[in-house]
Amino acid sequence: MPPAEPVAAAPSDAALIAAWHAGDEQAAAELVRRHARALARFLAAGGAAESDLDDLVQETFIRGFRALGKFRGQCRFGTWLLTIGGNVLKDAHRRAKRTRSVPLHDDLRATDGDPHERTVADEAEGRLLERLQGLPRMQRDVFLLRAQQGLDYDEIAVALGTTPGAARVHYHHAVKRLKEHLR
Amino acid sequence: MTHEEELHDVALRELAQRLGARAAERLDVERTAQAVVTRLRQEPRAARRTWLEPAWLRIAAAAVVVLGVALVVRSSSRPPLSSRQGVGFVEPAEAELNDLSAVQLRDVLQTVEPGGADPDAAPAQDMGLEDLSTPQLRALLESLEG
Repeated sequence: MPPAEPVAAAPSDAALIAAWHAGDEQAAAELVRRHARALARFLAAGGAAESDLDDLVQETFIRGFRALGKFRGQCRFGTWLLTIGGNVLKDAHRRAKRTRSVPLHDDLRATDGDPHERTVADEAEGRLLERLQGLPRMQRDVFLLRAQQGLDYDEIAVALGTTPGAARVHYHHAVKRLKEHLR
Repeated sequence: MTHEEELHDVALRELAQRLGARAAERLDVERTAQAVVTRLRQEPRAARRTWLEPAWLRIAAAAVVVLGVALVVRSSSRPPLSSRQGVGFVEPAEAELNDLSAVQLRDVLQTVEPGGADPDAAPAQDMGLEDLSTPQLRALLESLEG
């Protein structure tokens, strides 16, 4: 049996960014493949309708690539993208308020699994989603970056331009308020 | 933090992790990636255009300002219409005509006379004194008296 070929290590985000700067379009495509789902989850949890999700993810990447010159590797590329996504979502909400009412979150209309369990889970997610929209933006972003994306406070602090201590305080305020309403 | 609170925290975190998960799974990542690349490919042209547009606008604005300044300077350097008329028609009769020679007076008369610029009109030297008007005669006399 011939020896298995060594698996090439996946290029880092920094290498892909450098390749994109050098004109490699596929490097940009790879960055999108790598980070699109996490970004989509963050946007959906922030209140984006599923029907708008593709557009919002695209817009976030476009803004991100436009602003890559300002990215100094102060945090991970994926984290940096999430903060841009937060701004894109805020702009989308503002536009939606001017033009139409915010659509119902159709992500919560899943039909797979046990119908009763699914309904209970959907209700819990729906309540959390609703409560998240009522939080101040900083608290919501810190909560999602911490609880949903699993980032540590140092990373969150750099991404959101605050201190780790302040990020921790925002997180605890968010959790306290969410618990009050989810009890 | 009590055990119950810890459980609640864990439940909250799990719930948060599920938020948007199904929507994200349904996202066609490959299609999104290609769409982003296509938009980025168009981006340099758009970016270049947005850089050029303000440059052209600045040049056009500068041209308008220069033109405006030139017009203002030109109009302010010319005397008003009334004083221009005075130079040509009033003052020479009163003061400056005295300084003119006979030839210069004839030229003035040619411009004053209706049809003076007409090439078919008779030359000034062919005109008799009886053809001159009173102010013209007065001016002529004044110039001859020196």
